[in-house]
Amino acid sequence: MKVHWDLHALAPLVAVTVTIVVVLIADFFFEYRERFKTYQLAAFGTLAALIPIITLARDGGTRSLFGGAFVVDTYTLAFQGFFLIVAYVTLLISVDHIGEGDYYQGEFYVLVLTSTLGMMIMAGARDLITIFVALEMISIPTFVLAGWRKHDTRSNEAAVKYFIIGVLSSAVMLYGISMVYGLSGSTSLSGIAEYAGSAGTPALLSIAIFLTIVGFAFKISAVPFHFWAPDTYDGAPIPVTAFLSVASKAGGFVALLNVIFFGFYASHTSWQPIIWVLAALSMTVGNLVAIRQTSIVRMLAYSSIAQGGFMLVPFAVAGVGSSKHASFEAVIVYILIYGAMNLGMFACVIAAMRRTQSDEISSFGGMSKYSPILAVMTSAFLFSLAGIPPLAGWFAKFVMFRSVLDAGTTPAVILGVIAALNSVIAFFYYAGVARAIWFRETPEGIDLRPLKTPFALNAAIAITGSFVLIVGIYPQVIARLGELAGAAL
Amino acid sequence: MILNQFLILAAVLFCIGIYGVLVRRNGVLVLMSIELMLNAVNLNLIAFSAYLKDTSGQIFVLFVITIAAAEVGVGLAIILLLFRNFRSPDLDQAQQLKG
Amino acid sequence: MTQFYRNYLAVAVFAVAALGMVGAMLGVGRLVRPNRPQPEKYIAYEAGSDPIRGFGQSNVRYYVYALLFVMFDVEAVFIFPWAINLEALGVSALISMIVFILVLTLGLVYAWRKGVLRWA
Repeated sequence: MKVHWDLHALAPLVAVTVTIVVVLIADFFFEYRERFKTYQLAAFGTLAALIPIITLARDGGTRSLFGGAFVVDTYTLAFQGFFLIVAYVTLLISVDHIGEGDYYQGEFYVLVLTSTLGMMIMAGARDLITIFVALEMISIPTFVLAGWRKHDTRSNEAAVKYFIIGVLSSAVMLYGISMVYGLSGSTSLSGIAEYAGSAGTPALLSIAIFLTIVGFAFKISAVPFHFWAPDTYDGAPIPVTAFLSVASKAGGFVALLNVIFFGFYASHTSWQPIIWVLAALSMTVGNLVAIRQTSIVRMLAYSSIAQGGFMLVPFAVAGVGSSKHASFEAVIVYILIYGAMNLGMFACVIAAMRRTQSDEISSFGGMSKYSPILAVMTSAFLFSLAGIPPLAGWFAKFVMFRSVLDAGTTPAVILGVIAALNSVIAFFYYAGVARAIWFRETPEGIDLRPLKTPFALNAAIAITGSFVLIVGIYPQVIARLGELAGAAL
Repeated sequence: MILNQFLILAAVLFCIGIYGVLVRRNGVLVLMSIELMLNAVNLNLIAFSAYLKDTSGQIFVLFVITIAAAEVGVGLAIILLLFRNFRSPDLDQAQQLKG
Repeated sequence: MTQFYRNYLAVAVFAVAALGMVGAMLGVGRLVRPNRPQPEKYIAYEAGSDPIRGFGQSNVRYYVYALLFVMFDVEAVFIFPWAINLEALGVSALISMIVFILVLTLGLVYAWRKGVLRWA
């Protein structure tokens, strides 16, 4: 058996790998004062990896590698591009934060890129072994990133909690996967789909699917497996929190998309009720706890749990009727939009915290006085997260509700009502922050001179902000992308 | 060929592992419990692989073993940091952030 | 008694014999040797360095070496199946293993550059 190498299909992964190696080696030779050059190398490599993605997309077609364990199609390419852009924006928002603190710069970028590489592999993974390796490749660097401030006990605690839960969830997921393998006799998702289609749902398969989904639920911090998320998000450095809440979560969702839509789909009577419960609980608990938070980071942590619940809704209604494609597309569109608006939100928080030095929502009072532009952008991201037109968030909610209506069954409609109620609740706490920014007094001791933010941070806010605005006004753009990616199903 | 005995042994090991993670407060012992869970998975995979006469289960085990080693490496480093800052490997020391 | 259990009878006899021999040796040793307890005798022997309490009485400095050893030891697991099938797999497999080993070596080079291999 000769190994067939399709280097073009692997080019985005190779580009990122080369960047990782080059950044790590270059870091040895730079003097302390030139360490920012590692950032330039990392950013350049990330953007360079987008080129083969564009050429592959122009070529079109499906490329299957390594006996079907890794597939490059429109779905894979859409997410690989998304993860690269998320990594680039993460580099933009972290360069000044990491550069100004006494942190190890080169290693930080290496770990962010390694995690990104894992996500890119996940996008193409169609085999349980590949999915497991990709998932661990996403997680292990982020364990280290969460504990980045070595001497800060809060950062230690964030890393310990994240690590223990992360590894525990991998073990539970693996146990489920081992039973899936034992039943179906195959680790490839197509083989599992064949088995699920022919066997119906024996009890053991239901248990195996349950354990696998519980493992993923930890990774995407769905309630009741969410308790690590607020503490980890709070204790980790904020750029890392942004990366965790967007990229790492999206990686988990891509894994869930792969496993459910390419593998377990036919046994929907097994996985649908579990995801229904996870979705309903995540939305409700996430939102209700978010209201009570006084720290913006913890509020965003619970808000991201709730947003994860919204993303689970299309899964929960996917198994019936003609809603398979609509749900698949809805999840893709929601992830892409959520990524942009949440990253933008964190970029704004990081920019504002350069002045306030505190993550209390009250300390953000009167932001419009010293930085009107930042106040406008922060409000834009807040309202986008709340789903107010004409910002991108409304379209994400719209496709989510459309998938519910496509399914049209009673459980689907009940879940739709829960989602609608939660959208209203969510509006209150997002609007509360916006009100503080515009109408509250500036707290004592905050400098009222205009706030100067570094160029990289401005660029990050500009990229995510323009995406949120353009997609909000012309949602056809992202709808078309979702259709193209969904065609791979 | 016998299969059930292996599966039962793996299930028992897995449960002991979960018990250890939930009950033990020493970070190193928690790591060892997680290793136990992963080894239960390995046992499952090998048993199925032999039963089905299919090698992909054994390949899976190789990946689980290597990735478990990487995980434990990172985990020990994190627990070592905790130990340096708190002078104790007790995970309950880390209780500043409340859910 | 079935054949199955008869096979295990040999194991049981063997186990009893082993326990008996170890017990006899330790018992004789205990009867013959003088008994002078000193606190130093209860400290774990660690190549001359002081043990640190809490981590099962082992020096944390060994951690880095243990880790590097485990990493390389475990990654070798991929090399054995590769070596057996190398002829069938051809040049591309050779190249991929060279890349794999180079990336592993990069980890070692990193540890060396950061000075963790120096016994400080």
